[in-house]
Amino acid sequence: MKTFLTKIYTYVDERVQLEDLVQFMGKKYVPVHRHSVWYYFGGITLFLFLIQVVTGILLLLYYKSGEELAFESIQFIMSKVQFGWLIRSIHSWAANLFILAAVIHMFSVFFERAYRKPRELTWLTGMLMLFLGLGFGFSGYLLPWNELAFFATKVGTDIAGVVPVIGKPILIFLRGGEDVTGATLSRFFGFHVAVFPGIFTVLLGIHLLLVQRQGMSEPLGVEAGAAAPQKTMPFFPNFLLRDLLLWLIVLNILAILAVFFPWELGQKADPFAPAPAGILPEWYFLFMFQTLKMIPAQVWFIDGEVLGIVTFGIAGLLWMLVPFWDRKSARGEQNRTTTYIGIFVVGYIIILTILGWLL
Amino acid sequence: MKRLAAISALLVVCASYSFGADECVKCHQLLGDKPTQLFKKDIHASKGVSCADCHGGNPRSDDMERAMSKAAGFIGVPKGDAISEACAKCHADEAKMKSYGSALPVNQWKTLQTSVHGKLAVAGKEHIAQCTTCHGAHGIVSAKNPASPVHPLNVVKTCATCHSNAVYMRSYNPSLPVDQNEKYRTSVHGMRNAKGDTKVAECASCHGAHDIRSAKDLKSKVYATNLPATCGSCHSNAEYMKEYDIPTDQLEKFSSSVHGIALLQKHDLGAPACNSCHGNHAATPPGVESISKVCGTCHALNADLFSASPHKRAFDDLQLPECETCHGNHEIVAATNELLGTAPEATCGRCHSEEDNAKGFQAAALMRLLADSLESGEQQAQRLVDEAEQKGMEISEAKYKLRDARQARLEARTMVHAFDSDKFSDVIGKGLTVASTVHGEAQAAVDEYYFRRVGLGIATLIISVLVVSLYLTIRRIEKKQQKATVL
Repeated sequence: MKTFLTKIYTYVDERVQLEDLVQFMGKKYVPVHRHSVWYYFGGITLFLFLIQVVTGILLLLYYKSGEELAFESIQFIMSKVQFGWLIRSIHSWAANLFILAAVIHMFSVFFERAYRKPRELTWLTGMLMLFLGLGFGFSGYLLPWNELAFFATKVGTDIAGVVPVIGKPILIFLRGGEDVTGATLSRFFGFHVAVFPGIFTVLLGIHLLLVQRQGMSEPLGVEAGAAAPQKTMPFFPNFLLRDLLLWLIVLNILAILAVFFPWELGQKADPFAPAPAGILPEWYFLFMFQTLKMIPAQVWFIDGEVLGIVTFGIAGLLWMLVPFWDRKSARGEQNRTTTYIGIFVVGYIIILTILGWLL
Repeated sequence: MKRLAAISALLVVCASYSFGADECVKCHQLLGDKPTQLFKKDIHASKGVSCADCHGGNPRSDDMERAMSKAAGFIGVPKGDAISEACAKCHADEAKMKSYGSALPVNQWKTLQTSVHGKLAVAGKEHIAQCTTCHGAHGIVSAKNPASPVHPLNVVKTCATCHSNAVYMRSYNPSLPVDQNEKYRTSVHGMRNAKGDTKVAECASCHGAHDIRSAKDLKSKVYATNLPATCGSCHSNAEYMKEYDIPTDQLEKFSSSVHGIALLQKHDLGAPACNSCHGNHAATPPGVESISKVCGTCHALNADLFSASPHKRAFDDLQLPECETCHGNHEIVAATNELLGTAPEATCGRCHSEEDNAKGFQAAALMRLLADSLESGEQQAQRLVDEAEQKGMEISEAKYKLRDARQARLEARTMVHAFDSDKFSDVIGKGLTVASTVHGEAQAAVDEYYFRRVGLGIATLIISVLVVSLYLTIRRIEKKQQKATVL
């Protein structure tokens, strides 16, 4: 067996010089410090993304887009396809855990200032992938064409339509017309399975390449106080095996969630039915939704909703550009202001999300 | 008694004196006009109401110009709503009515305005009906007086003046029939009324007097959900109905019947009220021959099947009322399997005994068995579907299919009326097949639920073993690395 594997390795090595990569991997070390635990969230996010790809492809074998087919095809997957229920539930649960892991990963990178030079591009690609992840969630939510998804999409696209000047064209583009119809479902399906995965794969490739090339960033405090030689562990096999161990645990959590809390399908969307009471977006949009609900209709002379959306837009942009305005961290100095901003943002998101559930 | 006669005589003399002293009457009597003649017998005249009380003017002046001047408040002959307003001056004033010794209600004008007759007439200036339309103008007498146009024996004719006039009614409600009077005269009520019975129902008994509303109006006494109580106001009154020798428990029975519950509790306007079976203006109990036709207006399929069944001839021969024999009349309860079969509470056994009619007896027993088996099969399937759904399984297709089993059960209940066990078992068989399929699918869903848990348990075990092995491997590798570093 070993001889056979060696033969394969030699065959590949002779053609693509694998030895260089193995050498590189062998020399790759991961810093070990009290914040090392946060490194694993990148791997968990990646693992959940891979699960999404695999389960998504399997769902594609049976899913049929279209007003008259989508709901019924999911019903078919849930009741007739062998393990269809499992695949769909894992896909839905993994989507949520993916966003959660990505958000935790993003905030850990933010608080460790891992975005500072030379990792600005890694941060940028990561942020773009997070936004794409939210896009995946929003577009995928509509695909079962059920009542909740229909009205959540209606509300979501309505909000996009409020953006000054470009809002209306965006709304028409997203919906494929004035209203949420089968045309909206078709293009959301297109975004979800072709456009977003294509862009995501490119960004993920760059992101991983940069991580491999630049290695793991060390937090500022650890770097500054490093009098003794920094403690490290080999990436291969130590870190990779730890990653693998966590991935197995995440896989088990997903299976438990899928079996005990199978993702419900609800009622088929009826565009002529009144919106059910208490329509809420997915939890990761809830803080924004709640903010828009709480802003007064008119703030000074600006429409409250417009003000909220523009503020979120600017805040998101500034957040994405943090490596470029946080000059202190780039110089390797502690920047308390950025920390306070980060704490405020985390607190704001948590409180508004809770309020969104309760109110 | 003597004292009462003396007081009455005094009152009449006083009234005659006061009437005689009225200058309006003096002149108009000389002119020989009809209203003045009629007013002599008017109840208002006897109560001391003068011409001027309605027409205005000065009844004490013998100068026509002054007596009938605008300055004296003369209004001439009131027109349109002014007529009812003139009546209402006293009839809506409780104190005034008391002063005349009247105990009449004082809300007639108000209720008339809210009634269907209180709507604007086609010209749009006045209400459809004024007080005088029904009561007359100058010869008004008490409604209890047989001369009154609203006396129970006359009111039908009074109403018919307009309601039987097709040309007149077309202006107001072209879809409203104009044959109520004719129909009424064929009804039990109408025939007795024609013979002088003042207790039987006439128009006002059911529709009200001043407060008449359209039959489609929720507040109407003849609106479907109010009608049983309206009929019951006489028919459930044992004292009132004593002389007619008919039962008085119809309303009580109807209220607890399947029809009564649907109409009165569920407010299902598709359910029958009294008039659906008895007719309204032509109200009469359906006869033996017509009862299946009456029930068949709604239960058409059942009636058709029955008419083609062997029971039709047998019932005709025995002079049995068709539907009523098994289902009863006012007390009809929901048809369940208990009605069928040979058990004491079943209806079939009343005619089909094992000794006298073995074939019918066996057929009844078989049909009951089949009906019970479908009901039980459907219930079992329903229980499993509920269980699977409660366990979070996707079972909507089976749930949808189960409606076919229910449909078959309902179809079987109709097919009973063919009294043909072969046809009956075909329908039951269809339902049983569906129930069995649904049962199988629901059972598979429940089994799948437990399979998932077992599967999860095995998967968790395998993953746990892998996690532990991986952990041990990491420790082993790291120990090796530490040793290598130390060396």
